Amino acid sequence: MQGPLIDTLARRGVTRRTFLKYCATLASMMALPPTAGRAMAEAMSAARRPSVIWLPFQECTGCTESITRSHSPTIEGMIFDMISLDYQETLMAAAGHQAEEALHTAMKDNAGKYLLIVDGSIPLGQDGAYSCIGGRSNVDILKEAAQGAAAVIAVGSCASFGGIPKANPNPTGAVSVSDLVKDKPIVNIPGCPPIPVVMTGVLAHYLTFGSLPELDDKGRPKSFYGDTIHDRCYRRPFYDQGKFAKTFDDEGARQGWCLFELGCKGPVTHNACATVKWNGGTSWPVESGHGCLGCSEPDFWDGGSFYKALSAPADPLKFAAVAAVVGAGAGVAVSVANRVKKSAAKATHETTTLADLEK
Amino acid sequence: MSLDAIPIHVVPPGEPGLTGNAPPLLRELLEMVRRLLATGEASAIDLSALPLTPADLDWLRDKLGAGEISVTLQANGESTLNETACPGVWWVMHHNEQGAVTSQFIEVAFVPDLVKAHPQDVEIGSGYLELLVSDL
Ligand code: SF4
Ligand code: SF4
Repeated sequence: MQGPLIDTLARRGVTRRTFLKYCATLASMMALPPTAGRAMAEAMSAARRPSVIWLPFQECTGCTESITRSHSPTIEGMIFDMISLDYQETLMAAAGHQAEEALHTAMKDNAGKYLLIVDGSIPLGQDGAYSCIGGRSNVDILKEAAQGAAAVIAVGSCASFGGIPKANPNPTGAVSVSDLVKDKPIVNIPGCPPIPVVMTGVLAHYLTFGSLPELDDKGRPKSFYGDTIHDRCYRRPFYDQGKFAKTFDDEGARQGWCLFELGCKGPVTHNACATVKWNGGTSWPVESGHGCLGCSEPDFWDGGSFYKALSAPADPLKFAAVAAVVGAGAGVAVSVANRVKKSAAKATHETTTLADLEK
Repeated sequence: MSLDAIPIHVVPPGEPGLTGNAPPLLRELLEMVRRLLATGEASAIDLSALPLTPADLDWLRDKLGAGEISVTLQANGESTLNETACPGVWWVMHHNEQGAVTSQFIEVAFVPDLVKAHPQDVEIGSGYLELLVSDL
């Protein structure tokens, strides 16, 4: 598959207008100005395919599934196709020495230029022996591959923060990419699994602007992780009115009331589920009647019971006040309203972390 | 079993109503229209990026009214580009294949970009026409 992306898309029956429309929506999701959609479409349709090396470490392949499997061929999938995926164990045809050779060739030919995608955490226990590929430990492979990378993208909560392998008592001594790689730009795309469009968004940003998107203090793209689930949850008005479901089958649950008291971690979880949703925009956990587990935050597995209510923040009035600030911000400068909203939301929520969860 | 068999009725928690965020948009639109006239520069407002309630959107649509042209685009779900009563101001809605709104804009342009045919596509069309002509 060579040549500009637009030709590849055309061969697959995706018209230019479909792509323009997709880019307009992607730009909107990424909180870029509306005109960026067009710039993105132009840059991406002509972009050269960047070399991408994808290393799977201590992982369950769920992240790969999230991104590569959808019911119909999506544009996400096709953008994913447009990168030159030079090494991906799950998807590549080569195996054994052939595969290792492909990895080394890609690393040599594109030294300093390739994007390194990592999913899974890296075990340090027993000199890294818990997870090896071709007789080499994950930590060795990561260090070697990171050296020649332009940037590292940590896909999923395991690569971003250690994830489930790192959960107490962390038998393998699992750590995250950013625990080991210190001298390269790293983008964390946490989630268990992450939402596919976030990954496309980061790639699209890189292809369009030649740079990585703006990140928050945990290395996550602000455009997708800037708001909490709770900020954008459609059940939020019930929260503000103090209407909570007390069990999963009571009257409140039937009425679609807020799931806070059933353990929803939405108020402390930064992710885009509430707006982007899952399975092609079909639904998302809270819409399906279950609280958010907090899967895109560090150590979500050790945050106490998924079904125990957060101890804080519990003051609905505090949130109502934030909503009022948001309104004022929008009235003053509409074009920056989204960012105003985000920083207002950020300022209010950043004081509460998963560590504050009731144990 | 269809989903309807599950007795969950989500009750909307009362119309959130008008927030007052919509009227300033009219002012912004005026600026954008003036700019279009002065420099020919097109621009857009991303409605999904703003804290607008359904009531706000209704208010805005109502104020802007309906114009003479509505364009429907079938591309990975339906998109509608409807001119409002103010010529040059278009209400643009993108839906996905499931029919959900994926993004929504107000575009200020003589013709929205999406409607125009791209020269490269026109070239492909001309190739097809040549083929037709050569078959005559
Ligand atoms: S607590 Fe959970 S269910 Fe309730 S409004 Fe917040 S995110 Fe939604
Ligand atoms: S709703 Fe919460 S737990 Fe579920 S996928 Fe989204 S961030 Fe993760």
